[in-house]
Amino acid sequence: MTTPTAAADPTTAPSGTRPPSGARGKRGSDLFARFNLLIVFLALCVVATLLAPEFLTTRNMANLLQQSSLTGIVAIGMTLVILTSGIDLSVGSTAAFGGMTVALLIDNDMNFVLAIAISLATGAVFGAIMGGLSAYLTLPAFMTTLAGLTAIRGLTYLLTDGEPAGGDVPEAFQLLGGGFLGYVPVVGIVFVAVTVIAALVLRGTTFGEYVYAVGSNKEAARLSGLPVRAVITAVFAISGALSALAGVLLTSRLTIGQPTAFNGLELDAIAAVVLGGTNLFGGRGSVFGTFVAVLLLSVLRNLCNLLGLGSFFQMVVTGVILVVALILNMVIEKRGARA
Amino acid sequence: MTTEAETPRLTMSGIVKRFPGTVASDGAELSVRAGEVHCLLGENGAGKSTLMKILAGSYQPDAGEIRLDGEPVVLNSPQAGLAAGIAVIYQELDLIPDLSVAQNLLLGHAPAVGPVVRKKKRLELARAAVARVGGDFPVTATVRDLPIAAQQLTAIARALTADARVIVMDEPSATLGENDLLKVFEVIRSLAAEGRSIIYISHRMDEVMEIGDRATVLRDGRTVGVYDIADTDPGELVSAMIGESRELVRTTQRPRPEGEPLLEIRSVRIPGVIDIAGIDVRPGEVAGLAGLGGAGRTTLLRALFGDTRAARTVRLGGAPLRASSPAAAVRAGLALVPESRKEQGLMLGLSVARNAAVTALGRPPWLLPGRTGRVRTAPVLKDLGVRFASPDQPVGKLSGGNQQKVVLAKWITRGGVRVLLLDEPTRGLDVGAKADLYRQVRELADSGVAVLLASSELNELTANADTIWVLHEGRNVARFDPRNTSENTIAHTVITGVTP
Repeated sequence: MTTPTAAADPTTAPSGTRPPSGARGKRGSDLFARFNLLIVFLALCVVATLLAPEFLTTRNMANLLQQSSLTGIVAIGMTLVILTSGIDLSVGSTAAFGGMTVALLIDNDMNFVLAIAISLATGAVFGAIMGGLSAYLTLPAFMTTLAGLTAIRGLTYLLTDGEPAGGDVPEAFQLLGGGFLGYVPVVGIVFVAVTVIAALVLRGTTFGEYVYAVGSNKEAARLSGLPVRAVITAVFAISGALSALAGVLLTSRLTIGQPTAFNGLELDAIAAVVLGGTNLFGGRGSVFGTFVAVLLLSVLRNLCNLLGLGSFFQMVVTGVILVVALILNMVIEKRGARA
Repeated sequence: MTTEAETPRLTMSGIVKRFPGTVASDGAELSVRAGEVHCLLGENGAGKSTLMKILAGSYQPDAGEIRLDGEPVVLNSPQAGLAAGIAVIYQELDLIPDLSVAQNLLLGHAPAVGPVVRKKKRLELARAAVARVGGDFPVTATVRDLPIAAQQLTAIARALTADARVIVMDEPSATLGENDLLKVFEVIRSLAAEGRSIIYISHRMDEVMEIGDRATVLRDGRTVGVYDIADTDPGELVSAMIGESRELVRTTQRPRPEGEPLLEIRSVRIPGVIDIAGIDVRPGEVAGLAGLGGAGRTTLLRALFGDTRAARTVRLGGAPLRASSPAAAVRAGLALVPESRKEQGLMLGLSVARNAAVTALGRPPWLLPGRTGRVRTAPVLKDLGVRFASPDQPVGKLSGGNQQKVVLAKWITRGGVRVLLLDEPTRGLDVGAKADLYRQVRELADSGVAVLLASSELNELTANADTIWVLHEGRNVARFDPRNTSENTIAHTVITGVTP
């Protein structure tokens, strides 16, 4: 029904957001629809600078990046999973497990590079098992990763009977999580690198294209001969490995492995992914959105801190912001659908 | 049935509905009498669904007037439409599959004392409604478990419990087999005899000729003609729909391709479901699969494509076909155009180019799928005549015919297709889109592809297939050469399983 007229329309808007106003308003709201999150983020930064002069200091910025990077790395993996219309609730437990294994291995005199590799591989295997169960036995990912959340957390405690591990880690290893390159924290660089690599994989490889195809319509993807189950298993493995990476980085900063770390991480990660505009039912979204959303959430938290508002208050603000962002997204999408 | 009532039951006049950049309804007129079956015809995009959504109250017209029994009405919500006595039975039957028939029938107006549902009374009412449409299934059954025909009857019965004066049926035959359709026709006739008005939307001319009293033809959002079915013929209606004389489907008169069979189905067996043996297809041949709904056409195609487990002895090009999964089948050179393009064929939210390229990405180069996809799909989409604003347009925004072309484009872009399996490829397509699709299938066949074409449309099979295999209750019971067999003979075999 839309085809003949659409064919006559020379302007080609990719996302199809075309409110029936004049050309200028059209372009303006088009830009807003595409970059609304970024605009909100920048606006928030301006507000923060005005309200709290300490906000725009290198020290605070470095702090902010350091705090948000671990969640951010996990949220990037979560983005891939959610793009295939899956969900990974186990990320917090997997991260804690990864942090503990790397601490224990280094404690047993293993070379730290090898220890990191083993830790990441373990995370990937955990992810692959949960994703594989979901893909090959068609179990809901919500359930397999919920089981993983409990079981892997249990395993983490079993490693040391609930005690923190390690303590004597080489200096080079400590730099990874706590070091700075100039004013920039190393974890921030890792976060940016992970984001960029994920973006390149999603946009520039066949695998990335399959991720979107599977998330958009699993059945059609399968009947097009795509390796749907392998793709699903792979994104969970990636999510597991990135979670373990977050754990490794935390251990590196604290110099010990904390079995109780990262409780509730999955919710922060999912919140960032959704705030970043990725559709919970798959097929639409980007790691760029997640990246900005992670920063936005931590700027918000940072601002609350600078203004001396307590953490209870922060929780409320974060929740309200999430709902507002979702409503905004819905409104923009509806306008797009009408056009 | 064409009683000369003084005021029509329903008139819609000067209905205009604009969407940004398009006029979906441009002054359409519709007048339906009490007690008539009124067919609404038009190509996809002619404005039928828009007009019916306005009637249902889902869309608000920008201009125009709706009168029921002479009284102007404003239908500003689906609830208002129902309250005014208008029931729309959509193709995908908006029943709730996990509830019982009785619950569905009285959804929203169940008999109750305060908040407590009177279950006995509900069962009684439901039974009465099902009996009126001639249903023989228990009202306690869960809708999901019922055959599609019974679900269709349930949907009609629901229109009755709401005491609808105008009942709109959107292509009921799209999901029904021949026998079930006859049953639905009987119900339609009895409803019309009670004085209710039926608006019947269909693409199938034979149905229109059989069930309709009058027909309104829409084109480009305007009403181009109103016809008494008794005084017209399919040719006239079709040319009114497409606005020019165009052949319904191209009838091919060519010798059956010679040579060794490319696809040899020696046996495909699923105990209790299908038992097919001895079908072979040569390169360049279009082999039709005819049969009633449930005869096993889809199951056979799915089994060949590695999607349904079956005991198979199938050879492709002289070697055993290894297709344990769709992915393996694709590698072996099979391609499937599935039954439901929206659920199985396309990623509706993704762009045209990405859909058309997705099967081709399994081959190198592995990088930059966006660019290669666009470059490789552009000539294919152009060849197929897909009409779209931009390759970045979501495929869900295209019309049905164009969507189906994108499904086909998916396989052409990949290349290396040796066997093309088509499952009801023209479902829901308009006359022009059908002709286009068959022309493209023919071109593929001419390039040496073996085609298996399953269709419920016998006239399409006889016009386009070189051979027609008839499936009946899971077995292949006959094989016809459409050039020297009458359609009646084939139809008889399809229904009874025996060649007359």
